[in-house]
Amino acid sequence: MSTERPQHAPSSTGVLARAQNIRCVYGGGEEDFTAVDGVSIALGEGEVLGLAGESGCGKTTLGNALAMIAAPPLYVLSGTLEIDDGTIDLSTLSHDDVKRHRPYRGRTVSMLPQGAMNSISPTLRISSLIKDVMRAHDPRITKDEALDLARERLKMLEMPVRVLDSYAHQLSGGMKQRMITVISTLQNPRLLIADEPTSALDVSSQRMLVEMLLEMVEQRIMSGVVFVTHDLPVLSQVSDRLAIMHAGRIVESGPTRQLVEDAQHPYTRKLLGSVLDPSQETRARGIARRSAPVTPEEVGER
Amino acid sequence: MKLGRYIAQKTVWYLVALVAAVSLNFLLPRLVPGNPVDVIVSNLSRGGSVTSEQQKQVYESYVQEFGLDQSLGQQFLTYLAKVFTGDLGTSFAYYPAAVNDLVGQALPWSIAVQLPAILIGWILGNVIGAIAAFRGGNWDRSVFTTSLFLSAMPYYCLSILLLYVLAVVAGVFPVGGAYSLGLSPEFSVAFLWDALSYYWLPFLSLVVVFIGGQAVGMRSMAIYELGGDYVSYARAMGIRDNKITQYIFRNAMLPQITGLALAIGTLVGGALITELVFSYPGVGTLLFNAIAANDYPVIQAVTLIITVAVLLANFAVEIAYGIIDPRIRAAKSGEK
Repeated sequence: MSTERPQHAPSSTGVLARAQNIRCVYGGGEEDFTAVDGVSIALGEGEVLGLAGESGCGKTTLGNALAMIAAPPLYVLSGTLEIDDGTIDLSTLSHDDVKRHRPYRGRTVSMLPQGAMNSISPTLRISSLIKDVMRAHDPRITKDEALDLARERLKMLEMPVRVLDSYAHQLSGGMKQRMITVISTLQNPRLLIADEPTSALDVSSQRMLVEMLLEMVEQRIMSGVVFVTHDLPVLSQVSDRLAIMHAGRIVESGPTRQLVEDAQHPYTRKLLGSVLDPSQETRARGIARRSAPVTPEEVGER
Repeated sequence: MKLGRYIAQKTVWYLVALVAAVSLNFLLPRLVPGNPVDVIVSNLSRGGSVTSEQQKQVYESYVQEFGLDQSLGQQFLTYLAKVFTGDLGTSFAYYPAAVNDLVGQALPWSIAVQLPAILIGWILGNVIGAIAAFRGGNWDRSVFTTSLFLSAMPYYCLSILLLYVLAVVAGVFPVGGAYSLGLSPEFSVAFLWDALSYYWLPFLSLVVVFIGGQAVGMRSMAIYELGGDYVSYARAMGIRDNKITQYIFRNAMLPQITGLALAIGTLVGGALITELVFSYPGVGTLLFNAIAANDYPVIQAVTLIITVAVLLANFAVEIAYGIIDPRIRAAKSGEK
């Protein structure tokens, strides 16, 4: 399958989720740092929304707020998420708020983290984690039932079933990230927050993961994805719409192709212009900057 | 099968370590300047009634009796043959008492005071440390400061402090010994009740320091694990806090298990200074007296027991680690 996303109006069935006025701070004291400053976003059914911006712009913090995993020293001061005809208050001003969100996590909104390498406890088999995830939302489910569901999902995604018996250290980086993707989506979450899921992967593993995510969206395993990354080439292939974040705010958003080809905001144009261009012209400029030809000996010294 | 190979590899290495340790146990006491028979003979001649000829005869008969006239190699082979039959020899200083009997009398006292101290200290220390890490705030600050203070305090300092405050000043407990004069060790309610009053001070001086050390270690490990990506991910998946606590506890426990096993392994060596401060008749006191008298068989016996216990404890840790942490099993057995 191709990783190229069809550029169409995402939803024929309407809005999946609407997040309003999210404000997040680190610290919670007089010297707070505001990481997300009154952000609102909307997502259609079956839509992949790309959230891009430079490091430190607040995109991961926004993802954490949406996934309801913000915990001190990160506080969500305000914000709501309208999803499934209900409204969830996202604010987390205390540990009780964090506990209150537990039933939504993993099921209504799920998280695909960047650090798949360490996302599984080293002393836990994949199968045990799957059982615990399933039982967290349905205490009556047996281990066999949970694993049957996982096997079915793995077969559907053409992944080896034997990985269920493995520990995290026995899997490659790419396989680990794909396995985490399966676990994160096992309960068919309405919304998946994918936080830089491809950043630590090589290009072939990136492609496999992106293809898998898109297939899952096509199969409606999840109804929408917020794809957080600073990797604009990946986003331009994956997302239906793009939202560009800068200093805790969304400065511009729109359909991916339109935004890439005709960005209006100066920061968006600067960000898009920062992507390395592997064309001959760039390479020629790089070579011209050097004062003398590079010899094999020089390469050895570098 | 992979676990079996892991255990087999470990067993071979521990047997090699045992042979090396037994050789050193034999050799090291003999490198100490002085001769055990000199000590015995000088004690005999203190009254001034023994002539030099008699001294020489006594000296030669003791040297022959103890086998010290043989070559070092011959002595080693004799020692090994006896050790493998469970005979630890005859004490030079308490001749003709068998070393097995001396160790047999001292060991229960050491185990009785240290094993409960180690186990209770380990459990309480880990629970307190874990709670401090999970609750944070003032609870954490006060527990950490107190635990650090206690763990940094040498056993003998606390022993002397407790002895002075609770025995000398307050008179709550007896000053020293393991039981009242006039009694002899037996399994009777009267004796055990009497021994209990002598038991508290050495027990407290060990357990309090042990709790502090374990609490500091567990708190640090639990805080480290709490910040782990797997904790954030488990929360993001909606897994309940009590289940996440199990993940954290299992990972944070790994170094603590080492501490427990090593503490149990070294307990047979006695808490030397604690036993001396309280005049407790354990293995520590026995070893101290044996070193002072160059009593090779007793020194060898005690160090052999310590060696075997430490090796067994380490072996148990390695096996437990292999079971608890699959990464270690994989690394050691060449598994991917």
